[in-house]
Amino acid sequence: MKKNIVVLTDVSLITCVVQRGAADDIIKAAREAGAQGATVSFARGTGVRERLGILGVAVEVEKEIIQVVVSTEQQDRVFEAMYLAGKLNTPGMGIMYVTHLEKAATHIPMEVLEKLRATGRSRHASAKA
Amino acid sequence: MTEHIRFGDVMREVGIDQTVVSYNDLTPKPEYDAEGRVKPYVARNLRLAPGDVYNLLSPYVGARFWDQVRSVLPLAVYLVLFQILILRQTVTDSWVITAGMGAVIVGLMLFMEGLKLGLMPFAGEIGDRLPKRSPLPVVLLIAFLLGIGVTFAEPAIGALQAVGAGVDVSRAPYLYALLNQWTGTLVLMVGIGVGAAAVLGTVRFLYGWSLKPFIYAALVPTLALSVYCWRDPHLAAILGLAWDCGAVTTGPVTVPLVLSLGIGIASAGGKGGSSLSGFGIVTLASLFPVLAVLGLGVYLSAVTSPEAVIHLAQTASAQSGAAQPAWFETTPGAEIIGGFRAIVPLVIFLFLVMRLVLRTRLHDAGIVAYGLVLAVAGMIVFNIGLSYGLAKLGGQSGSLVPAAFLSLEGVRGSPLYMAELGLVIAMAFAWILGFGATLAEPALNALGITVENLTQGAFRKTTLIYAVSIGVGFGILTGVLRIIYDIEILYLVLPGYVLAMALTAVSSEEFVNVAWDSAGVTTGPVTVPLVLAMGLGFGGALGAVDGFGILAMASIGPIVSVLLTGVWVSRRHRRRMAAETTNAQLVLAKAEGIEG
Repeated sequence: MKKNIVVLTDVSLITCVVQRGAADDIIKAAREAGAQGATVSFARGTGVRERLGILGVAVEVEKEIIQVVVSTEQQDRVFEAMYLAGKLNTPGMGIMYVTHLEKAATHIPMEVLEKLRATGRSRHASAKA
Repeated sequence: MTEHIRFGDVMREVGIDQTVVSYNDLTPKPEYDAEGRVKPYVARNLRLAPGDVYNLLSPYVGARFWDQVRSVLPLAVYLVLFQILILRQTVTDSWVITAGMGAVIVGLMLFMEGLKLGLMPFAGEIGDRLPKRSPLPVVLLIAFLLGIGVTFAEPAIGALQAVGAGVDVSRAPYLYALLNQWTGTLVLMVGIGVGAAAVLGTVRFLYGWSLKPFIYAALVPTLALSVYCWRDPHLAAILGLAWDCGAVTTGPVTVPLVLSLGIGIASAGGKGGSSLSGFGIVTLASLFPVLAVLGLGVYLSAVTSPEAVIHLAQTASAQSGAAQPAWFETTPGAEIIGGFRAIVPLVIFLFLVMRLVLRTRLHDAGIVAYGLVLAVAGMIVFNIGLSYGLAKLGGQSGSLVPAAFLSLEGVRGSPLYMAELGLVIAMAFAWILGFGATLAEPALNALGITVENLTQGAFRKTTLIYAVSIGVGFGILTGVLRIIYDIEILYLVLPGYVLAMALTAVSSEEFVNVAWDSAGVTTGPVTVPLVLAMGLGFGGALGAVDGFGILAMASIGPIVSVLLTGVWVSRRHRRRMAAETTNAQLVLAKAEGIEG
């Protein structure tokens, strides 16, 4: 039998760069808006901090990068929830963006897959389409 | 009739309005100079609306404020509740103490932020560059001077001055002299001890030597000198103070600053690649000051006599009773001078090293200056809170707890409980105080994570935290018992450290490093003044000569408990490994049997 993997389409990536320590609240908001999971990595970044003068001390140089993979239907809802939770309209709080992903793959439970097959919402694609 | 609504319209109503702006309209267009070259773009400073300033500052201030509230409040609440519920005494001067605690929180908040922004950049820069640029002797000299400087900047060191006035000069003249006329020298000696520890610890990193011989070499003369002092009835009183000084030194300024230099030297030297880099300086920095202070005591006994000290103290008190104290001896003035004296010399020293030895500048001079202002302001506010909040509350509960089992003047209905029950209550109070204060110490959590990584999970983080906390709990309990029964401190210190040395000899290098360092991380800027003041209040209520020694006990406790846990963990680990090997051998033997 030929090997088969399940590939997801209509996937977007929301990336959000915030000050260190701010990620937890944003991830909570994203999950409440329906996001399935989130990845956080640590980084350092500059930008607004340098333009704030003495107030720049209130902005951490150390950042957290949150990456959330969402479906295109969820995309705006999760994006808005994260924006509000992170108070990104305040200067220095961070930046976020959405990128379209061509495809993604992960574990899909068998029963979900069978349900999708039954309703004809999954299709086979040959390896070289 | 059905009404048709576009799904998109519903989503727009439910969702949030979006205004779409092209980023092309926001990014700067290139500007050309006369010769047609592109001018480098310089971003202009932003102008913020008041609301934005609030949004920006409230998480910044809030997070730092609550950090300190979490470190101060549980202890304070514990002391107050104990006093009200168990001892049934009201807290006198409760408003002064509340304001003092507030000052401690604000002061620590400012100081920690100032430390991070104003002092750590120096430490990082010097730690990275100095070892590459200068010959080793120069580096070690700077490490030594840095050790002295950071001791003066340590917030808890102010506690020594704050509690010094309560010592009875006629009963412990040398102790009184050390804490009153000689405080500057005392802190200097402690600093010299820390400096020596920085130098030796760094050399140890550099060559990857074992910590064990350093521990023996530091302890044996210290214990010998302790025995010498103990035999002199006047010098015996300073033993408690001397052993406590070791615990006072290793606080939030000393540890990061000295460590960053030491680790920088070790990594530049090449040989210090071991995962144990960074350990050991704290250990030595809590042993050498003891030696230095004992030495100072011996020197003091050689140059002055007890009678001279008593005479001096009496004339001084007579004078101060007559004359109005100068502005720099009363409350705001003394703390302001103290704050500047703690930070400014250290900064000048670091600055001179940067400019004259390294010949570099700091990048963010503005932010560093802001940090330094915060550090000085924080030190001043903390010092005020120290005398009016921590020292007052600690002294009060210390002097009231004995009322549980003793009849004290001024406490209505004392003894409050039967002698045995009261004693148990006092002991439980001491144990919980040590256990709880240590459990909450953030530095211990960090150490726990390091240890878990270092031992590949054999020594769990929680195991370490509980081992240290239980050790401190029993240490403080022993210290309190010592004051109650008036046990000579030598009888506790000597067997304690001999036991610790014996355990050190049989333990592996990792556990030795961790155990001896764990004693240093437990005594932060809130615990030290509280426990010192509590001990002195306790001693005062019981009529003991001095109330020192509790912190010393709180240092031995975790060393012994962590070493014991280490022995237990490694024995269990070895047994499990042995069991696994025999299992594997059995399986192998079976497999060979089948094949054969």
